[in-house]
Amino acid sequence: MLEFKPAKLLRVLCSEADPYKGKPLYKAIVDKCLEMKIAGVTVFRGAEGFGESAEIHRGHLLTHNLPIVVTIVDSAESIARLVPVLQEMIDTGLIAISDVEACRVVKTAPTNKS
Amino acid sequence: MLGKGAAKKVTIYVNEDARHQLGPLYEAILTFLMHKGVAGATASRAMAGFGAHQVLHTTKIEVLTEHLPIRIEFIDTAEKVDEILPTLYEMVTDGMIEVQDTVVVKAVMKERKTELKIPHERKQGKAKMLRLFLGEADRWHGEPLYEAVVKRLRMMDIAGATVYRGILGYGIKGHAHKQGFLHLSHDLPMMITVIDSEEKLQQATAAIEDMMQDALIVMSDVEIIRLVHSHSLAEASDAGV
Repeated sequence: MLEFKPAKLLRVLCSEADPYKGKPLYKAIVDKCLEMKIAGVTVFRGAEGFGESAEIHRGHLLTHNLPIVVTIVDSAESIARLVPVLQEMIDTGLIAISDVEACRVVKTAPTNKS
Repeated sequence: MLGKGAAKKVTIYVNEDARHQLGPLYEAILTFLMHKGVAGATASRAMAGFGAHQVLHTTKIEVLTEHLPIRIEFIDTAEKVDEILPTLYEMVTDGMIEVQDTVVVKAVMKERKTELKIPHERKQGKAKMLRLFLGEADRWHGEPLYEAVVKRLRMMDIAGATVYRGILGYGIKGHAHKQGFLHLSHDLPMMITVIDSEEKLQQATAAIEDMMQDALIVMSDVEIIRLVHSHSLAEASDAGV
């Protein structure tokens, strides 16, 4: 039977074209998470959406400004550590945190974190 | 239509030339079963066989071709079979009736008439949401793991599952999943979300646990607003957002 532990799921909602120090914001967030040793990050690209600017983000032949969701699952402490950093990085966007039960399945790769 | 699960299978062996009132017995039995609303019945004519009379009926001898065995099979719930059996017992004056326990694994039909459609199932209130994080390159017996997981969930009658492909990420394997030049990378991060009741999801995690290599399973509470049958989740709001 799998053992589930309480954890936090953080989502950052921003757009693909949001910049941060010369590179896309979502890439900067992933790099930052790697640097801060956050357990894992996944970036999803939405198909369509709108946000604070009430401007519809839709894929074009030439422009790419689709909605981006960055999903992070880690312990409450790690997420608490990450939030201030993200707040500083994100110009316009949304951060949502929810309580979850998480379970890591590790069978092949040796890891240093359980 | 018959649902999945335990059921009874009834097999009736009669002679092709056995008669009931004016017509052949097997036809009378089939008509009766249809009239009673049995899920389905099949009558098949055997190639050869013998019965209690100890006469070998075979297509090879012309005289005996008239007496070939007919086997009628049908599967339905125990209650239905109990209801029907007494009449069948009366009808079969020369032959054999056999009942056995069986399990219906799949019973589907293509929709033809709207009135035959199963009523829509509505679920409202609290449920659980399961997120599985895995890699696109993960495999299960040669097929992509995410496909295998979705297939397994479908077989288990889980309300619905959606597979998302990420564009960037890292996780247990430690390496970054990144889209390569000209979309050549085939190891992007994948997420499967599943929403159903807690018991159902526990069954689901138990079943897919063995299929997982390195993965993260996340469970959270959600509020379901509407869920229509036909395996489509019309609108579900994630309580976490």
